[in-house]
Amino acid sequence: MTAEVSKYTIEQIEALELVPGTEHEQLEGWVPELASEDDVRNALEKAFDYRGDVTITTKPGKKIEAFIFNRHTGATLAESYVQYFEPNVNGKQKLGYAEIARLEFTGKDRAAGKHWEDWVKAYNERKASGEKNIALHPDKID
Amino acid sequence: MAIPISQVWTVFSYVWKQRLKGNDRYPLVLMLEPLFRCNLACAGCGKVQYPPHVLKRMLTPEECFAAVEECGAPMVSIPGGEPLLHPQIVEIVNGLIARKKYIYLCTNALELKRRIHEFTPSKYLTFSVHLDGEREHHDYSVCREGGWDIAVEGIKEAVKRGFRVTPNSTFFDGTDPNSVRRYFDEVMALGVEGIVLSPGYSYDKAPDQHRFLGRARVRRLFRAILSNRKKSWKFNMSPLFLEFLMGDRSYECTPWGNPAYNIFGWQKPCYLLQDGYAETFKELMETTQWEEYGAASGNPKCANCMVSCGYEPTAVIDGFLSVKGLVSMAKGWFSTYEDEHALKLLSDPAPHGATTLVQIDTPDREMAAK
Repeated sequence: MTAEVSKYTIEQIEALELVPGTEHEQLEGWVPELASEDDVRNALEKAFDYRGDVTITTKPGKKIEAFIFNRHTGATLAESYVQYFEPNVNGKQKLGYAEIARLEFTGKDRAAGKHWEDWVKAYNERKASGEKNIALHPDKID
Repeated sequence: MAIPISQVWTVFSYVWKQRLKGNDRYPLVLMLEPLFRCNLACAGCGKVQYPPHVLKRMLTPEECFAAVEECGAPMVSIPGGEPLLHPQIVEIVNGLIARKKYIYLCTNALELKRRIHEFTPSKYLTFSVHLDGEREHHDYSVCREGGWDIAVEGIKEAVKRGFRVTPNSTFFDGTDPNSVRRYFDEVMALGVEGIVLSPGYSYDKAPDQHRFLGRARVRRLFRAILSNRKKSWKFNMSPLFLEFLMGDRSYECTPWGNPAYNIFGWQKPCYLLQDGYAETFKELMETTQWEEYGAASGNPKCANCMVSCGYEPTAVIDGFLSVKGLVSMAKGWFSTYEDEHALKLLSDPAPHGATTLVQIDTPDREMAAK
């Protein structure tokens, strides 16, 4: 985040007419290489921003399916950790960067895709055919 | 003035207590998000895109009360997700009323009429009902035909039962100022206490990434909407914040003014941005690098933001801590903001957004560029 600060001047901000929207990075299915310390840090930063579950394999070989919602980055990997929720497990969990051997973006990215554009297109078609009470519903969770 | 004197006095005395203690950074409104689950899938919302096991998680009433005590803000806004989907929302609200917190329960009102009998009217409780303009525009914004009718039924029922109600509107590119002014007439006729409004924040996780207003367009839109006001319109907001939206004032963000607490913890730095979480409110205040946020920082994530949760605290503090501010607020409450130029803006061709649904009968004309 820090590297992006000061990208805009206040004059540019005040003159902004429309905000350029975010292009979502396609991360679903990605298995980042974790060869270096930078690789680990970069991959976990993306996992923190990812709106889907990931699968972590720890160095002893344990697999954890988790939603990573926070990260704390210290000077070394040993001082850095992620916080996550596991399905069907109460409470927040914590795991050190240094304990992670493999990371896979296995879960569906809930913020990605063209579902908005797809929905507008579908809406217009359904409306034109006379359908009523058309709605975009949230994903079912139960 | 739409806001009750007791609430104004509570906030005024709180701000002065902080000043006398020499406290430069303090919260005014706690944004308490007890869950992210929602029964709508709004185009401009980036709050609810999570895996099902995360959406099923909720704060307990005890966690909510602990956060409120820890934060100490005199007001609590309860957004989400949809708070009325929380099975213990009544217990949470009653607990906050017992603590004499002024609560704004933000709801899309799809469940309001069904659940209203569970709540008791109080000067501390306001239902802040999501209503993004006239029927067609609201339904488009929340991606649900019939959503406006249900919300209005909920508002009518809440008003009838003696609750405080404020419709809460978020506006995006393509908003027709004349339509918004007609909407003001319509909701004030429902008997609401006052209107709440804000430009949308450019959530990077929101489904629709094409309609977030930049600052120049926000000022033009809100000048057209809020100038030449009718006396029947009341706003449940700081008049100085509305002047900021109209381009009459220059403010910097107060990101710690409306801190957010949810199932992940205390959100850094604010309700809108997710740059991490703190375990405690103290940790949030002490470890967040506040200078990296707000328009002056140049942070692209803050570039378009003129949202109430960052800038209304600035306006409230500005209004309460000086005689000049108090006078400006008093003038604002009673002024109709006559403005010839703004009248001309209203006669400009109606804008249309990046996408328009069939149901919205909007002429195919471009928004005037000045």
